[in-house]
Amino acid sequence: MSAYLVALVAGVAMGALIYAARASEPAQIARMLRLEDLSVLKFMLTTIAVGTVLVYALSLATPVHFAIKPAYLVGVLVGGGIFGVGFALGGYCPGTCVVGAGAGRRDALFAVLGGLVGALVFTLVYRPLVVPLMRPLQLGKVTLASLLHAPGWLVAFALAVVLGAAIVGLPTVRGARRGGSPT
Amino acid sequence: MDASTESPTPAPAPRPTVAWAPLGALFGVVCAAAIWLWAPIGVSTTYPRLVGALLRPLSAGYVAGHPMLVQIGSVVSPESVLVVGLLLGGLVASRLWPRRADAEPVHRAAEGPTRRALHAFVGGFLIIFGARLAGGCTSGHILSGIIQLSLSGFVFAFGVFGAGIITARLLARRSGARPLEQERS
Repeated sequence: MSAYLVALVAGVAMGALIYAARASEPAQIARMLRLEDLSVLKFMLTTIAVGTVLVYALSLATPVHFAIKPAYLVGVLVGGGIFGVGFALGGYCPGTCVVGAGAGRRDALFAVLGGLVGALVFTLVYRPLVVPLMRPLQLGKVTLASLLHAPGWLVAFALAVVLGAAIVGLPTVRGARRGGSPT
Repeated sequence: MDASTESPTPAPAPRPTVAWAPLGALFGVVCAAAIWLWAPIGVSTTYPRLVGALLRPLSAGYVAGHPMLVQIGSVVSPESVLVVGLLLGGLVASRLWPRRADAEPVHRAAEGPTRRALHAFVGGFLIIFGARLAGGCTSGHILSGIIQLSLSGFVFAFGVFGAGIITARLLARRSGARPLEQERS
C-alpha cells in the first residue's frame, strides 16, 4: 500500500517538474539534441548529481532499495540507439509523452499510442529477435563502484563533481546565432 | 566568424528561461526518495504490462507462456500508479502555468498537424521498442540508473544521445529551414 502512495506522489511531482522544465515539449527536446538549448540536459544532469549523492549518503545510514539493471552491452546500446532515433523524431520519451498528454497535447497522445504498438510488436518478436541481442557481452548488474572497487558514496560524489563541472562549463543556450546555422 | 550575408539582427527574442537548477535539484530529491522508500523510478515497463493485460482476454495461454510478460508481471503495480501520477502532474501543472507551445515547430520546418502526429507516433513506437530492448528508458536507465551508478545507465545514455544528436541534425538539415533562433515568440 505504501509503495502505491509513494509511487503516486513521486509520479505527480515528476510530472509537474517535467512540465515546468519544458521536457514535455518536443521542440525543446529537438533544440537540446541540435545542441541549441541545453536547459533540459542541465535539468537531467542536476537531477542525477543531486540524486546520486543523496541516495548514496542515505545508504550509509539506512537501507535503500537499489535495483541495478543488468549491463548486456549489445542490447542496451542497440536499444539506446533505437530510442535515440525515436527521441529525436517524436521529441518524447516514455514518461514525457504521458506528461504531455496530461497537459493536453494532441501529439503526445499519438506518442503514447505509438508506444503501445511498439510494446505489442516488441512482445511479438521477443523470442526470435530480442533474446539473441540480450545474450552477448552480458556483464550483469555492475556499477561504476563495483568496477572500480571503490565505495559507492565516493564514486557518487566524484560523479556529482564531474557533472557539476559540465553543468557550469556548458553554455545553456548557444550564443546569438547571427553567423547563420552551423552546417 | 560573423561573416554572413544576413543583416546583423539584434539578440534573438529570448524564450522564457527555464529554472533548470532548482527543478533538477527537486527531481533529484524525488528520485532519491523513491529509491529510499520504494524502488527506482521507471516508466517504460508499464507499456508492455498494459499490452499484456489487453492480450490476456484474447489469448490467456499466450500471455501465460510468454517469458517477458510473465517476468514483468501484472499491470496492477505501483509503477502503473506512477504513470497515472505523471498524467495528473502534467494536467495540474499545465493548469497552474499555462503555456502555449503546441504550435512550435519541432524540426525547424513546420510539420503540420498530420506530420507531427505521424512523427510522434513513430517516435513513440521506437522509444518503447528501444527502451524495452535495453531494459529501461530515460527514467529507469538514465536517471535512476546513473543515480545508482549502474554501468547500463551510462551505456544507454551514450546510445540515446549519440543516435539522437545525429538524427536531430539530419532532420534539421532535411527540412532546411531558417534557424529557429530567429523566430520571435
